[in-house]
Amino acid sequence: MNDKYLWDRTGEPDAEVQQLEELLGTLRYQPRPLEIPATINIRRKRTFIPLAIAAAIALVIGAGLWIRFASSNQRAIEQARRGPQSTAPPLETPSAPKDSVAVAPQGQAIYLPNPRKVNRNFVALKSRRPTQTLAPVLTEQELAQKEQVLVALRLVSAKLNLAQRKAQGLPQVNAIRNQHKIG
Amino acid sequence: MIEAEATAEMLLMTGTFRSPEIIEEPIEQTIVRAVLEGEHDRFGRLYEMYGPLVHGVLLARVPRDEVDDLVQDIFLHALRKLHTLRNPTAFGAWIAMIARNRAMDFHRASRETVEVEENTAVAKPTNRTAREVLDFIRQLPDAYRETLVLRFVEGMTGPEIAARTGLTPASVRVNLHRGMKLLRAKMGVTAT
Repeated sequence: MNDKYLWDRTGEPDAEVQQLEELLGTLRYQPRPLEIPATINIRRKRTFIPLAIAAAIALVIGAGLWIRFASSNQRAIEQARRGPQSTAPPLETPSAPKDSVAVAPQGQAIYLPNPRKVNRNFVALKSRRPTQTLAPVLTEQELAQKEQVLVALRLVSAKLNLAQRKAQGLPQVNAIRNQHKIG
Repeated sequence: MIEAEATAEMLLMTGTFRSPEIIEEPIEQTIVRAVLEGEHDRFGRLYEMYGPLVHGVLLARVPRDEVDDLVQDIFLHALRKLHTLRNPTAFGAWIAMIARNRAMDFHRASRETVEVEENTAVAKPTNRTAREVLDFIRQLPDAYRETLVLRFVEGMTGPEIAARTGLTPASVRVNLHRGMKLLRAKMGVTAT
């Protein structure tokens, strides 16, 4: 058998292969026109994978920014809450820092003795420097004493309220808050 | 000055002309892209190119009466699923695989009704009909029968089979030779 003729029909023709070609060639494909239905649904190549990747990246970046913003916001709020206890002026939120500095409520004016100090804190907040906690660290004994003072103040306040209501002839409210704490 | 111009002309005339290099993309890629962009009529070109391949793959597996309809079905299926083809240059291998799967489905669906027409003893080997020889080929292992059908029925050469099916030329060559050897043995055995 001529291998070359079997492979690519070159070289000396092989009689056996030629016979098979002639015989089986009668079964050869007879092309028919391809009838493509008008209603056939051919979808385009899906391009959503790159879009999905881009969306996922954008989502991750957005989430990161949001978390960072939220944590800085939380820090600012905590700092503002600690403000009256410390010497630092109170800050409302970082979203309106100018208002908290420029238009301070009357009740809080006492905490803003020096405008330069306010500005310095504002700059520090914007530049994201590590916020220093100005509140002193109290020992357990000091904390207990502080709690005692607060309870006493509440008790005095309640007693004064009671006396005021008695003087004005209003009905008595038999509730002195926090009385149980002092026994 | 005149000499310089003459030299320049000479250089221009004698210099070999180099056209900008054009990288031609395979025709399958062009057609697939065009079809996916809405030119459905261009799919007919792929049908012309790969019709014999699909026909051969099916003829090696399913009854001849069913082959023509299945060829149409397979091409319509391929047209619907064309967007899933990742590499358009591998269109041949892709549609051949669809044809093989469809042939398996055909046998699965009509297992009870398909008659097996084989092992018929032939007294006169020289007067065998095409169908009889085809039956012998169908008794061979998958790889051999497909290659032999494409070679003898569809008239493709070895390199053409390799290019269409995505097989390596070496594999096709081996399949041709081993398949031919087995076919000859089978025909000789039944003839005696």
